[in-house]
Amino acid sequence: MSRESAPSPRGARTQRPAGGIRWRAWARHHRAMVLDSARRLLRRPLGSLMTMLAIAIALVLPAGLWLTLDSARLLDAELEQSATLTAYLEVGVGDSEAGRIEQALAAQAGVLDTRLITAAEGMAEFHQALGLRDALARLDDNPLPASVVVRPADPAPQAVRRLAERFEAVPGVDEVRLDLAWLERLRHLAELGQRVTLALGVLFGLGVLLVVGNTIRLAVENRRQEIEVITLIGATHAFVRRPFLYSGAWFGLGGGLLAWGLLTLGSDWLSAPVSALAASYGASFHLPRLGLEGSTILLCSSTLLGWLGAWIAVNRHLAESRPR
Amino acid sequence: MIAFEHVGKRYGGRFEALANIDFRVRRGEMVFLTGHSGAGKSSLLRLIMRLERPSRGKVRVAGHDIERLHHSQIPFYRRQIGVVFQDHQLLFDRSIYHNVALPLEIQGVEHREAARRVRAALDKVGLLHREGALPIELSGGEQQRVGIARAVVNKPALLLADEPTGNLDPQLSADIMALFEDFNRIGTTVMVASHDLALIARLRHRTLRLHDGRLVADEEVA
Ligand SMILES: Nc1ncnc2c1ncn2[C@@H]1O[C@H](COP(=O)(O)OP(=O)(O)OP(=O)(O)O)[C@@H](O)[C@H]1O
Ligand SMILES: [Mg+2]
Repeated sequence: MSRESAPSPRGARTQRPAGGIRWRAWARHHRAMVLDSARRLLRRPLGSLMTMLAIAIALVLPAGLWLTLDSARLLDAELEQSATLTAYLEVGVGDSEAGRIEQALAAQAGVLDTRLITAAEGMAEFHQALGLRDALARLDDNPLPASVVVRPADPAPQAVRRLAERFEAVPGVDEVRLDLAWLERLRHLAELGQRVTLALGVLFGLGVLLVVGNTIRLAVENRRQEIEVITLIGATHAFVRRPFLYSGAWFGLGGGLLAWGLLTLGSDWLSAPVSALAASYGASFHLPRLGLEGSTILLCSSTLLGWLGAWIAVNRHLAESRPR
Repeated sequence: MIAFEHVGKRYGGRFEALANIDFRVRRGEMVFLTGHSGAGKSSLLRLIMRLERPSRGKVRVAGHDIERLHHSQIPFYRRQIGVVFQDHQLLFDRSIYHNVALPLEIQGVEHREAARRVRAALDKVGLLHREGALPIELSGGEQQRVGIARAVVNKPALLLADEPTGNLDPQLSADIMALFEDFNRIGTTVMVASHDLALIARLRHRTLRLHDGRLVADEEVA
């Protein structure tokens, strides 16, 4: 910085303390302002709590959504594990022939495991599904083909599609069906969810900035005279800003902690019905909790948002009060 | 030390508070600034502190055109000037001690050293016994003296005072002026705006007289 050359009535150079002393003074002022801003917060406990609650509410929605999506990703992975393709064999292929074809498919690269459903088993399943019992006796000729259900090692749609093409070239295989549509639908849904979360995160992050900015703007207004006086006697902008930045950070941190509490309570409260609901669909799904990493991200970003909101509010004031 | 070169100041583009002000104050001088109310005394001091910018002309302090100061340098410039404000500008939520300590706190002076200097400054204005009081508990004259203590606590090279004796009785006014003379004797350049003509006449220092924003007299005392 060019401050060193600030002209002084004493001579060419402004008298400034040595580096080490200056640094210690700077650290001392920071420490003093951390405590001072905390004290000011505690002096108006209700007002401070309201501000923090407003911040917390703005944070809970995107954070909760993000958590839900995160666990939906786990569910997604589980579902992908259950992706299968079914190779229908030509009608009239005998059981032993079908067994050989199954072996051939199982030997292909990228196949996790296979299961043979003979024509008779297929018929039995079919009847069971339709609730018919003695129809089997009446049909001498089984019109159903035998089939091989294959679990691919790589559940990615392209890999599965390539596998299907290779299966279709195997003699005795009539047709390969793969049910990827629902998987892709799920993936699109997940992406939609992510984008919505991101948009909400940005929007509500702005909300936090506004909440903190407004609170700090009022604090600046209340201390307008003090700011004016210390500016008159040589306070730098950084010095003027410091207590407000710490206030903003405290508000952000408090809001983040409240949001964390709300999220933990909320996921406890919702977890029983959600697990029960998932179980009724045959899935095991538990509402997630914020881990160490998630908690750290939440608290850091809320503190940072508070600090930033304060910065914007104070700087607007400082810019307005520059000499013309 | 201070040089005004054809300085003019307009407020709001029309009203001319100062016009064609041209004078020089040497290092170590003591100067009075007088004139009727509204003559432009405070405006002139505010130009020196760079609280306002001239509409025309140049203000030089210690050889530097202060107009050219980058805004990040202004705080460091102001720290070199002690100012007694016409309206005290004390902080009412902290004690006399902390008011006087403010410039030192801003500059990061170490606590023990700061305490020593604050007490010395309070002692000079005769308010050492009130260091724990709040400004609100003090009379107008006492508040004025706290403002003076704050202006000198940093041992500035240039001391500006705007009506420093406005609220004081004749005896205290004389004491305060004697205080300024003490500072002047140890090398501080002092500029005092006042309309206490009797006192000014008695003290026999160079006097700049403003009338409607113009410098109408510059009386050196032999
Ligand atoms: N910020 C401002 N905006 C507009 N006009 C101003 C401003 N400050 C001062 N003035 C005008 O400039 C003129 C000079 O004002 P100034 O305060 O310098 O007078 P003064 O000599 O200090 O008076 P007093 O003895 O009453 O303190 C006055 O007419 C005042 O109305
Ligand atoms: Mg005035």
